[in-house]
Amino acid sequence: MKSVSWIEADDLQGALSAAAQPGSLVKAGGVDVGDRLKEHLDEPQALVNIRHVGELSFVRVEGEGLTIGPLVTLAQLADDARMPRVLRDACLQAATPLIRSMATVGGNLAQRPRCWYFRNETFHCRRKGGSECFAIEGENEMHAVFDNDICAIVHPSAAATALLALGAVLELRTQSSQRAMPIEQFFVSPEKDVLRENVLAYGELITAIRIPVTKGASAYTKLMAKQSFDWPMAEAAVVLGDRPRIVLGAAAPAPLRALEAEKAIAGARTIDEGLAARAARLAVQGATPLSQNAYKLQLLETAVRRTLLAAGRAS
Amino acid sequence: MSDETRLSRRGLIKGAGLAAGAAALLETAEAAAAAKGKSRRFGPGLVEISLEVNGEPRTLKVEPRTTLVHALRENLALTGTKIGCDRGACGACTVLVDGTPAPSCMTFALDVVGQKITTIEGLADGPKLAPVQAAFVAHDALQCGFCTPGMVMSCHALLQRNPRPSLDEVKQAVSGNLCRCGTYPKVFEAAMAASSTAPSVALNVDSGSARGNEAGANDNSSPVVGGTAESDAKKSQDPGAAMPPSMSLAVGLPGALSRGDRKVPAGEPKPWDGDARLTVVGKPTPRLEGGAKVTGRARYVFDVQLPGMLYAAVVRSPYPHARIKGIDVSRAEKAPGVKAAYIVERILGPAELRLKATAPGKYPLVRYEGQPLAAVAAATQLQAEDAARLVRVDYEVLPHVTNMRDAQQPGAPLVFDGPVEQPGSAGGGGAPKGLPQKGNVRGPLAVTKPKGGDIEAALKESVAVVDATFRTDVQTHSAIETHGAVAEWREDGVTMWCSTQGLHSVQDEIATLFKLPKTRVHVICEYTGGGFGAKFGAANLGVIALHLSRKAKAPVRLFLDRRAEHLAVGNRPSSIQHLRIGAGKDGKLLAIDLRAQGSAGCAAGAGCAGPAKNLYPARVVRTSEEDVFLHTGPAAAFRAPGHPQGVFALEQAMDELAGKLGIDPLELRDRNDAHPARREERRIGAQMVGWAAARARKSSGAIRQGIGFAQGLWYNFDGPHSSAEVILHDDGSLECRSAVADIGGGIRTACAQVVAEVLGVKPEDVRVHVGDTSYPEGPPSGGSMTTQLLTPAVRLAAEHVREQLAGGDVRKPGRTVRGYAERARDYGGWKEDPYTATIGGAQFAQVEVDTDTGIVRVLRVVAVHDCGRPINRLGLESQINGGIIQGVSYALHERRVLDRKTGRMVNADLEHYRIAGSKDVPFIESRVLEHFHGRTNTDASGIGEPATVPTSAAIANAIAHATGVRVRDLPMTPSRVLAALRGGRS
Repeated sequence: MKSVSWIEADDLQGALSAAAQPGSLVKAGGVDVGDRLKEHLDEPQALVNIRHVGELSFVRVEGEGLTIGPLVTLAQLADDARMPRVLRDACLQAATPLIRSMATVGGNLAQRPRCWYFRNETFHCRRKGGSECFAIEGENEMHAVFDNDICAIVHPSAAATALLALGAVLELRTQSSQRAMPIEQFFVSPEKDVLRENVLAYGELITAIRIPVTKGASAYTKLMAKQSFDWPMAEAAVVLGDRPRIVLGAAAPAPLRALEAEKAIAGARTIDEGLAARAARLAVQGATPLSQNAYKLQLLETAVRRTLLAAGRAS
Repeated sequence: MSDETRLSRRGLIKGAGLAAGAAALLETAEAAAAAKGKSRRFGPGLVEISLEVNGEPRTLKVEPRTTLVHALRENLALTGTKIGCDRGACGACTVLVDGTPAPSCMTFALDVVGQKITTIEGLADGPKLAPVQAAFVAHDALQCGFCTPGMVMSCHALLQRNPRPSLDEVKQAVSGNLCRCGTYPKVFEAAMAASSTAPSVALNVDSGSARGNEAGANDNSSPVVGGTAESDAKKSQDPGAAMPPSMSLAVGLPGALSRGDRKVPAGEPKPWDGDARLTVVGKPTPRLEGGAKVTGRARYVFDVQLPGMLYAAVVRSPYPHARIKGIDVSRAEKAPGVKAAYIVERILGPAELRLKATAPGKYPLVRYEGQPLAAVAAATQLQAEDAARLVRVDYEVLPHVTNMRDAQQPGAPLVFDGPVEQPGSAGGGGAPKGLPQKGNVRGPLAVTKPKGGDIEAALKESVAVVDATFRTDVQTHSAIETHGAVAEWREDGVTMWCSTQGLHSVQDEIATLFKLPKTRVHVICEYTGGGFGAKFGAANLGVIALHLSRKAKAPVRLFLDRRAEHLAVGNRPSSIQHLRIGAGKDGKLLAIDLRAQGSAGCAAGAGCAGPAKNLYPARVVRTSEEDVFLHTGPAAAFRAPGHPQGVFALEQAMDELAGKLGIDPLELRDRNDAHPARREERRIGAQMVGWAAARARKSSGAIRQGIGFAQGLWYNFDGPHSSAEVILHDDGSLECRSAVADIGGGIRTACAQVVAEVLGVKPEDVRVHVGDTSYPEGPPSGGSMTTQLLTPAVRLAAEHVREQLAGGDVRKPGRTVRGYAERARDYGGWKEDPYTATIGGAQFAQVEVDTDTGIVRVLRVVAVHDCGRPINRLGLESQINGGIIQGVSYALHERRVLDRKTGRMVNADLEHYRIAGSKDVPFIESRVLEHFHGRTNTDASGIGEPATVPTSAAIANAIAHATGVRVRDLPMTPSRVLAALRGGRS
């Protein structure tokens, strides 16, 4: 890790103005940023520590919806009975108890990929401005099975998978502007810009995450090779209701809605085995697996089917 | 924004609405007045901060990039908190921040100013352990102990918020804490016991410091009985010496003891045979150093801090094959804090050319990614790392081979351009000498038993034949304490603190390479944070550290980071095994034919035919082993070298053969395996696990259950030299000394039990000092030989003390009495039948296979093992747990992934290199069978290696039972299980 200054932001304005300074890198929980510094992926002049900005750490019940501050930790979300099941379970199964107590939900959404090529300083991959994706022709057992022709990362955030299923809206701010958008518009596909995973502009922070009213039952599944601390081979998040959502995680460079599968279950009163299986098959249709990760299709399909059934049972 | 470099405590920042205690960098008045919101800038240089650690305010100067663990360890000398991966994946660095466990390696020191930090040093109240610490000691919830502080912190925090946790809650709480020794089941027990027994227990927290009792060391006034080293060695080793008398000993299994004649050398006490009635030896005994390990007081080499000590960083090759054209350290030498730079002149570990190159280059040829090239030493670790990045290396990148298939293609790049030999290590390793070599293939080492036996005829005669190919991937040792040393070069001699399994192997290597008499090389290692076979000799890191120390005229600390640990200091070789076995109608094996290739990277020694040669006496056994050289890091001995690989193939084939013959798998073993202990182990284990019923159960649906069996073996080596000294001080205090390494097997406690047995005291009355070459030479801690080699010497030394006491009171001897002894060689008359003279065990695994996902969970393992005379049943249980858990990890998860194009390892971490954690651990039940050989005066054997040998095969057989398909590749990952279910191979 290179030498770096530390800017302690004491309030949101302070955080935004420091984040806008050239050479700065915003740090919340510090799990992802710490790792990037240690791996020499980022060499900022200053770390802007927003971790203690109280204005960004809150949970509000507004109407029947919820608004979450970006500094709420994954551990807090997992423990919070007001949160929908799908989000609690996603947070509870992320990483380890140690990491969850540090990692913030905002940082979790904005973290960079865990691709083993991206995280290794010696691979100058396309996402780092290089000319190739090493995973596509290389070791890709943990990589994307959709949208993987330019860069085969999978989005690392379990919370993102759940929040997309919940139709969350993100509020973003810079020193001078403010915007809000549905979470799907937050992610940037490799075709659009392979150098970034999200739309956050330099100096822009996530300032709130709004979860609209969800009446439908929800469920989340993470399939891991190892049961204590592992990245998912497949993830599924399901929220039932009038406009049900099915989201795949560990499948593509961004959490991926399975639109055809959603259509298949829309209007269904109950989810039976047959419907779940049909929707699950649709969810993996059109996948383009790489040399070593075709096995993920069966896992994703299983995850969707089981998650649909679990959500169906819960409703 | 205001710029600040120095902070004073004027008050805490008011973080509006933030939870109390969260924000608390110290502020100045100007900052409060800042206009555009509030923020303050610190650094990049040193910043003075105040931390509240264990209830005490502490002021220190750190850089903003300094993580909490470094601040605690280096600024505050609180070395109980460890670093395992430095990426938040292993939990060795766990501390509490405001009561919540946090990875201090991923926490910046500046981020926790004003928060309450509790480290392992803050749990005990003086000598009184916290309940969770006391429970860890009582339940033996620790082995090497390096992960223990982190594990204790996670459990402590759990108990604070949930005084009565369930088993699942404990597993969840420690799911971020990795233990490579596999102590988890005992951790679960301890945490749950601590929850039910509120009162804290006072336990001895003596660190067992090697420097703890200097007075006795210089006390040469008392007589020494037992002769000198030379005379003892002569006695035991010279075959021409007077024929020892024959002695009849009770040998065999309890309940079926018989008499065996043994030639017991003169001077030996009456051996403890099957009839011996012992009161201390054989009893479960909490390990003596437990208190030191659960409090963070145990001083690992990782924790050694000396005045003026420098920190080293190593420049390593990112290329697997390259010629170095130049190395320029001049910029690094001028970097802040740098005191010395060193360019590597010689590489230890790989195989060595028989004929040295006629025109060797100036720099060693790079044969693996991670090969050390140069190093710098600086005042701080951060400065050393900064400077190492300034070293310029001019590489001529050469074509590489990193898989066995490519390596055997015509025209493949050669790893060695001539025949090589492999230097061995005290932990095994090495390879047979003088084998042929062609291209990248060395061998074959071909053996047929009996000589001239016709394997094809034997197969032809078989009514059932299994013919299959098995593959196993490379596994890395991944001890949580990485390899490292602190080297101090002084004109009058060298001191090496080296994290090692063999103190004398370090001394030998340093003395040889630096042309020093051994008397000038002092090696110290009080505790080793895991080794598993990879920590012998000074190795490149020790040599580099010593060169740096000599140049810098200061002690130098060099520890590998996790990445280098995976790449450069050993691994378990891969294998491809073509195996054919055949049997007659009666199930008697007629043929075992193994053709194996394996790769130990740029080293030799990938053989895995041990089990095929030594487990079953088939009519004809033919084995052929070849090494395939690759541009990958040299392998090292790894817990039962070759055997988990070999047994994975052989025991699956036996299972298949049983199926073909329509014979129960246990019955098939009974018909072929004459080993009396293993027969009994199968019988006991089958009862414990409910074999017949579980085997008969058919499971259907997506989630299927199955049960499988496998057995393994290991050897009773009549290994190297070993000696010990027992000193009874005039005040009645007792110590035992030997330069053995404590790698977590519990050798201190075993020694204390033996001394206690002889002298009629309690084990805790004996201070055992190990890990220092100024003590009598101990055995290497490897090969499952430690207890077997050392306890006979300890017993003899204790007997010498007893003789001198001549019936006097051991508690009031009135004078200091010393006994020194070397172990006798294995007694003559101890039989050498390779099929029954082994140690080993039988394991039964119950698994659950999710056939929709390929995910396998091991639910339960029943293990019955033998290791001669058990010395400490509690420690044995822990080691068996550990062997099984490492076996589960090997079976399902562990795999070095090399990028096919660049040859680089892409999972050189503890995040994508998967090691079994708390939730991956089966419910384990174990038994240790006594099996008396009449071999030494204690008749102890080892357990470390045999416990891990059969696990992966038992799991594979259980998967086959559950699903009807065989997975023949290790690890049995979900993708491979799914492929097998589809009738293919991934």
